[in-house]
Amino acid sequence: MENSQTESNRENNGGFSSPVDSEHKATKLRIQSVAAPHMRAFHLSWISFFACFVSTFAAPPLIPLIRDNLDLTSTDIGNAGVAAVSGAVFARIVMGTLCDLFGPRVASAALMLLTTPAVYCSALANSPASFLLVRFFTGFSLSTFVSTQYWMSSMFSAPVVGTANGVAAGWGNLGGGATQLIMPYVFTLIHHIGATKFTAWRIAFFVPAVFQTLSAYSVFFLGQDLPDGDFAKLQKSGDKHKDKFSQVFYQAITNYRGWILALTYGYCFGVELTVDNIIAQYFYDRFHVNLHTAGIIAASFGLANLFSRPLGGYVSDVMATRYGMRGRLWTLFLVQILGGCLCVLLGRLGSLSTSVTVMLVFSVFVQASCGLTYGVVPFVSRRSLGVISGLIGGGGNVGAVLTQVVFFRGSRFKTETGITLMGVTIICCTLPMMFIYFPQWGGLFWGPSSKGITEENYYMSEWSKEEQEQGFHKASLKFANNSKGERGKRVASAPTPLEGTPESYGHV
Amino acid sequence: MAASTLLFVASILLSSFALSCYASGTFSALQKSILLTSSPKSGQVLKAGEANITVTWSFNKTYPAGTDSAYKTVKVKLCYAPISQKDRGWRKTKDELKKDRTCQHKIVKRDYKPETDSVTWTVERDIPTATYFVRAYVYNAEEKEVAYGQSTNDGKKTNLFEVEAITGRHVSLDIASVCFSVFSIVSLAGFFYLEKRKGAASQQK
Repeated sequence: MENSQTESNRENNGGFSSPVDSEHKATKLRIQSVAAPHMRAFHLSWISFFACFVSTFAAPPLIPLIRDNLDLTSTDIGNAGVAAVSGAVFARIVMGTLCDLFGPRVASAALMLLTTPAVYCSALANSPASFLLVRFFTGFSLSTFVSTQYWMSSMFSAPVVGTANGVAAGWGNLGGGATQLIMPYVFTLIHHIGATKFTAWRIAFFVPAVFQTLSAYSVFFLGQDLPDGDFAKLQKSGDKHKDKFSQVFYQAITNYRGWILALTYGYCFGVELTVDNIIAQYFYDRFHVNLHTAGIIAASFGLANLFSRPLGGYVSDVMATRYGMRGRLWTLFLVQILGGCLCVLLGRLGSLSTSVTVMLVFSVFVQASCGLTYGVVPFVSRRSLGVISGLIGGGGNVGAVLTQVVFFRGSRFKTETGITLMGVTIICCTLPMMFIYFPQWGGLFWGPSSKGITEENYYMSEWSKEEQEQGFHKASLKFANNSKGERGKRVASAPTPLEGTPESYGHV
Repeated sequence: MAASTLLFVASILLSSFALSCYASGTFSALQKSILLTSSPKSGQVLKAGEANITVTWSFNKTYPAGTDSAYKTVKVKLCYAPISQKDRGWRKTKDELKKDRTCQHKIVKRDYKPETDSVTWTVERDIPTATYFVRAYVYNAEEKEVAYGQSTNDGKKTNLFEVEAITGRHVSLDIASVCFSVFSIVSLAGFFYLEKRKGAASQQK
């Protein structure tokens, strides 16, 4: 099947079908390809994450039926909505750890297979309590976000990692919008075939459940953890050091940048989840559109992820080529604050058409902020990439839980007031970004350290002297070298060698 | 000349008042001129898909003759009692009839007859578990509500009955759910075993 062009490409790329760097990470994202290992990992990533989003948000479009079948009150429905996003807070941190220790392939396939029973058992729910439980456990599957980002950060090099992360996560998030259209359609089909309404919605849940199961199988059999092979194989052959959980975890939680980004991510991704849960009701109640129209408006918010989150990741990479890490940080800071301003505005608008327009622009800014955040995350830590990604991802869900509980539960605030206050909170919670500082690259208001701290210094600080003597840090060294592009174009640096580690770093 | 102009203006004014009565579209503007009884006793529990309700309604003769001259059709509906509306905004009672969500289940639609009319209706399988009463709305030729009657009092406290819905669950569905779930977990165990074998095999290489 390979023609001579592809053959010569493979020769140029050291046996890979995409051009690669010294860690064998792809330096280009070729979306039309499914070649192993890079692009195949990319497609498996976003499709499996999409499946998990479809499962987690399969209930909301069917609530009008489920609430009658299970005799739910508004409070029950609100609690189940909070439960759906709160399970993933803890699960994302666990997933990060599992990725660091066992690799994204096994971690995500395992998690998907452990959560599909909750989706299948949605068909058995018969009370508000059982409904809350199935939504809670199904929500754990949203932790595949972390394995997606980890996998992309392992397969794609610094110049394209933001784009790869953004597209994979954005197209996965699409599931939250797509499910608002898929589930009612599946339900109607089953109902027409002859099932009564209260049985048809139960059968409908088998669709996302089977999709998730098949995704898990695909990831396991078709995917590969790293460009050079799977964790298990590489660990046994000694090419990859099997790291210690306690050290990985300690390095992650003592890195203050992870905590600040967790807070800011809580107010872009957390806001996105909150809006997914409340926006249909908002348009239905305030502007008196019918339920069908409200559902379409809600779906369009989620569907904007098709381009807006990838756009954020792409812009992050573009800013990095010129301005380095400081460009990434400034763009995230400005876009997220602008998103907050649009949110404040959204709550104060009284006409349907301006509200929908502002909501769509707001969705682009909020989702782009998510993409921009994960343009920065791969550089916070190399050793504990998984746990850091999980911590920040979990922070996103914490933001969703807090925002819904404080502003959108009970009748303390009218929904439009809640939206405006949410916008103010976005702005306030983005300000702490001022304190993020990378000694080798700088921060928002300060340039790189005058003490001449390099990328190697930063990433080696995660390993103790004993660990370095045993050579466990080799992968981090390669990464450090490949991340020199984050200095931006200010420094005319020598071109980084494409093959092998530079002479001075290979030996301990 | 002046008299005919006066008559003309008066008739315009009167008909606009009459129109506003009909066009206001609120529940409080309706005449309670229908007498309605329903068969379930107060507090009785009916099973959806099995039990029957017999509803009987007629024009209340204490109202002046000719009140029902505009009545054309009758819709009998199953309506939620206040206890089943609590904390459930999608069943809220509103005076503006277009926005009122109290009566969501249609029992029957008939042409209006001043004599007694009745219907025996099997509670449908998609009626949710809740407390109910029965109400009949009467419509004029323009499909606008003009009158009503209900089986409970004005405060909607007396003569309420309950419906017990079907669960929608079936044994075959339960078994399928459990089987698929077990299969997922078992295949996960299989994957771990395969991974261990692959790891051991590469160590031997």
